[in-house]
Amino acid sequence: MNTIPMEYYLLISAFMFSVGVTGVLIRRNAIVVFMCIELMLNSANLALVTFSSFLGDPAGQVFVFFVMTVAAAEAAVGLAIIIAIFRNKLTVNIDEINIFKW
Amino acid sequence: MINEILNSITFIYPELAVSIFLLIIVLVDLVFHKDKKYIPYISLAGLVITGILVLNQIGITHFAFVPQLSAVKKYGMMTIDPFGSYFKLLVVVTSILIIFFTIASEEVIDLKERLGEFHALIYGMILGMLVMISASDLILIYLSLELLSLSSYVLAGFLKLRERSSEASLKYVIYGSVSSGLMLFGISIIYGLTGSTNLYVINSLIQGPQINLFTLSFSSILMFVGIGYKISAAPFHFWTPDVYEGAPISITAYLSVASKAAGFALLIRFIQTGFTSFISEDGYWTLIAVFDWQALLIAISILTMTLGNFSALWQDNLKRMLAYSSIAHAGYILLGIAVLSNQGLIAVLIYFFVYMLMNIGAFYVVMLISNKTGSENIDDYDGLGAKAPFLGVALAIFLISLTGLPPTAGFIAKLYLFIALIDANMIVVAIIALLNTVVSLYYYVRVLKHMYLTKSEREQENITPSIGSLVYLLVLLIPILFFGIYFTPIVEFARSCVSLLGI
Amino acid sequence: MENSQILTYLLFTPIIGAVIILFMKESQTVLIKIFGLLISLFAFAVSLYPYFNFDYTNPDFQFIHKVLWIESLDISYHVGADGISVLLILLTTFITPITLLSSWKAIDKKIKLFTMMMLLLEAGMIGVFMALDVFLFYIFWEAMLIPMYFIIGIWGGEQRIYASVKFFIYTMLGSLLMLVAIIWLTVAASKNIGLYTTNLILLYQQAPNIMLDIQKWLFLAFFFSFAIKVPLFPLHTWLPDAHVQAPTAGSVILAGVLLKMGTYGLIRFNLPLFPQSTVEFAPFISILAIIGIIYGALVAMVQTDMKKLVAYSSVSHLGFVVLGIFALTFESVQGAVIQMVNHGLSTGALFLLVGIIYERTHKREIAYYGGIAKLVPLFAIALMFASLSSIGLPGLNGFIGEFLILLGAFQSQVLDSWWYVVFAATGVIFAAVYLLWMYQRVVFGTVTNEKLNTELTDLNAREIIVLVPIFIFIVWIGIYPTTFLDLSEAPVSAILEHVKNYTFNFLY
Repeated sequence: MNTIPMEYYLLISAFMFSVGVTGVLIRRNAIVVFMCIELMLNSANLALVTFSSFLGDPAGQVFVFFVMTVAAAEAAVGLAIIIAIFRNKLTVNIDEINIFKW
Repeated sequence: MINEILNSITFIYPELAVSIFLLIIVLVDLVFHKDKKYIPYISLAGLVITGILVLNQIGITHFAFVPQLSAVKKYGMMTIDPFGSYFKLLVVVTSILIIFFTIASEEVIDLKERLGEFHALIYGMILGMLVMISASDLILIYLSLELLSLSSYVLAGFLKLRERSSEASLKYVIYGSVSSGLMLFGISIIYGLTGSTNLYVINSLIQGPQINLFTLSFSSILMFVGIGYKISAAPFHFWTPDVYEGAPISITAYLSVASKAAGFALLIRFIQTGFTSFISEDGYWTLIAVFDWQALLIAISILTMTLGNFSALWQDNLKRMLAYSSIAHAGYILLGIAVLSNQGLIAVLIYFFVYMLMNIGAFYVVMLISNKTGSENIDDYDGLGAKAPFLGVALAIFLISLTGLPPTAGFIAKLYLFIALIDANMIVVAIIALLNTVVSLYYYVRVLKHMYLTKSEREQENITPSIGSLVYLLVLLIPILFFGIYFTPIVEFARSCVSLLGI
Repeated sequence: MENSQILTYLLFTPIIGAVIILFMKESQTVLIKIFGLLISLFAFAVSLYPYFNFDYTNPDFQFIHKVLWIESLDISYHVGADGISVLLILLTTFITPITLLSSWKAIDKKIKLFTMMMLLLEAGMIGVFMALDVFLFYIFWEAMLIPMYFIIGIWGGEQRIYASVKFFIYTMLGSLLMLVAIIWLTVAASKNIGLYTTNLILLYQQAPNIMLDIQKWLFLAFFFSFAIKVPLFPLHTWLPDAHVQAPTAGSVILAGVLLKMGTYGLIRFNLPLFPQSTVEFAPFISILAIIGIIYGALVAMVQTDMKKLVAYSSVSHLGFVVLGIFALTFESVQGAVIQMVNHGLSTGALFLLVGIIYERTHKREIAYYGGIAKLVPLFAIALMFASLSSIGLPGLNGFIGEFLILLGAFQSQVLDSWWYVVFAATGVIFAAVYLLWMYQRVVFGTVTNEKLNTELTDLNAREIIVLVPIFIFIVWIGIYPTTFLDLSEAPVSAILEHVKNYTFNFLY
């Protein structure tokens, strides 16, 4: 079963994580920023599942379920807040949301 | 296994009580549409019960939810110890104070319809904090941190019609999610390295030689990012001033005390349980030589307090100024941890108790004044000493205590911090902290100056606080002055609560 | 070491007075004024008890009252007095009623708060002079800051806010440094004796045994915080602002007593706790003191503002005191102690006189005046008297102090060079120049300013009552200083003996 070495999974996970972090830093649309955050969480999930499978320890996979739940909750809260902001300002561009010095 | 779980449940009564009352509040909110004015009292009742349950736990040390595998060395998902109970008590007392705070705050009173949600969310935060304080397993740490964060994101943006509030909330949620994402990645690496999520197991495994030091340091730093964000340590503090200014003021006070306390408790447990190899007789911790936590903590704490203090100098909005001052205080407290000794820990415990009293007090006065004047700007405090003598004196005492001058309890907190620092021979650090205190003096005194020395140009009516507010302020003021003069009780209590389970 | 609670009664007299005033009505101004004055007079009467029952032969602390306060750190409420303390406590209780009486008219708003602040300030000052526990000392030291901040900030001149904030920040910097030094001292001493203690008398025995490297830093930390208070050149820049902006009462208290706390701290802490470092640093500090003497005098000479002139003269005079302390001979330290009292009296009198004339004209510029001798003869005489006392005319108090200091510095083995004395002595000459020049410009000549004719009135009965007691003491010390020198004789020689014991291999 273990035909693909662990490093491959981890490299993909690290790549996804980097894409997520970069996206958070450079994208200006709040919704895209949230998508990038999801990417970060999922890269961690991938790493957890990989380790879990290679270590033969179920705890990591259980953790992934929890993380998925949390990610869903986070997305829900985040989108709700974005909607609230959109109602006030009619924009979701982070650069224009700047009452405080951003 | 079932026996173990049933047995463990007896040790998490406080958390259970909070969960039950969370449900009760949601149900009451659903059933009684019309009249929601009883909800604050229900949540108060719940907190009092929780407080009593926590008090019962003081002195108990126990591992809860122990896996069957751990026959050799005992460990569990949660650790009940005096240190945790101290912080839980602190969180519960803060919550009680904050509930009274919201009752007096007009921002929240206006939201009669949504009072149920408000208290339910506060309960969510409390549950998150209580679990976080006891958690000794990375899964539980992550989940409780998220529970705390999710509730506080919503609460920060609770005044959804106010642009500032929702903007604050958006910033909070983005910064928060990113840092928890980083933390989660760190957790996954630690898990990969050690094959366990339990801090006790991790501790015994990383003492072995086969651990890759670079990877472990990297993942530890990622973990620290997540915690550093919660305690608003620089350079993860950028959200703090905006969120504190935009959030409803009662929530600002709550975030600045309770969620910070829980974050610090987590940090202390993480370092002590995960990385300490032994504790010497005079209370100094020896860390596993993975990477130099002490240097990191000292650097971060100096950065935090310096940034906090210097940014506070230029703030004209009192809420924002107090936000920066709370960042600076986080720096002082972090210094207490950086000593890596039980003495430093005692200083942290004392500091938090005092910090709770004085910070909530300062925010409360700011809230009462903004109830009347609708402004938090420092210019609107001109001549306040004459118009609201009691509020003026109260705010003056809170600010003097925040500065750390005798005879207030703030002085005692700083005193013990300095004793810990100097006893560990960290004289230069102590001097830097001292110079920071002088800087902080400037902006605290600036408020005093506006209140007492500057004459107001506008006519304002006198502000007389209600009896309830008077009592509330006295409840905060009396301990500040009493412990400033006679501090043996608080010091002894902190000393008795200093022990963490394990190692 | 008999136990006595007299000092505690003395400490609490003004505090209780302030609390009673808190419950008085704001509108009963006359009653508040009279009550405040009576309380401060009563405190003076109480402070006479330790003076009359003082055991001159005993160099130890007397009238000790000790109550344990915080067990874990061995902090106690521990007060006592030796001759130096008694002298300075008397100065405090003597000056306070005078300032209260002098501000009878000058302070016209928030009289209740003012009287309370003055009484609390008095309590703080008395506390500093009798604390025998370093922690307690620190508490009193800090506690005085807040009343003084408000006295300058509320009742001061035009730039009062700037001056009060500057004063506050400066002194806080010093006192926080002292806090670190106190903790470090306690921690370092605990390494020898195994437990924390803040008892000053125990620390006298332990502190000199601390490692010399640490001692040096401790010495510097304490020295720095006291030097800000003194103020020693170049840390003096807060003083002119605070003095000029403070109300008359504030200036008098500031010059009369507050500055003495710095020099008192040097004698009480630096000398006995760190004898080795004292001897090591004495030459450098003496040089700073002499720079202060000359610099203060030169700057005073070019001032156009009378109050500023007197303020800079303080810098110069306190340079003498510091020089006397660090010359480390019996004569010089005795001279320094008596000079502390002298400066309190004569500079206090000068500030009072400037305040009196300011009340009438609201002008402090020297150029505004001229030829007022004919208009206000009594005032002219009083100003002459105070100036001469400040200059150090033989027969008046200033001479005794300065003479003893210079004599002692000349014999000093620690300084070991007569150049110190030569330079310091020029300060005396400069003092004569700036004060007499100012006097000449203000008092003599013809009246150039027409307004003065209508504005000026001579001293009234209240002002004479305020000034006469000060002048009595100025003459008393000038003619028969033994009354006062005897008080400090035993403790001064004990402290010097202590220093000598520890530094025998060093220099002596």
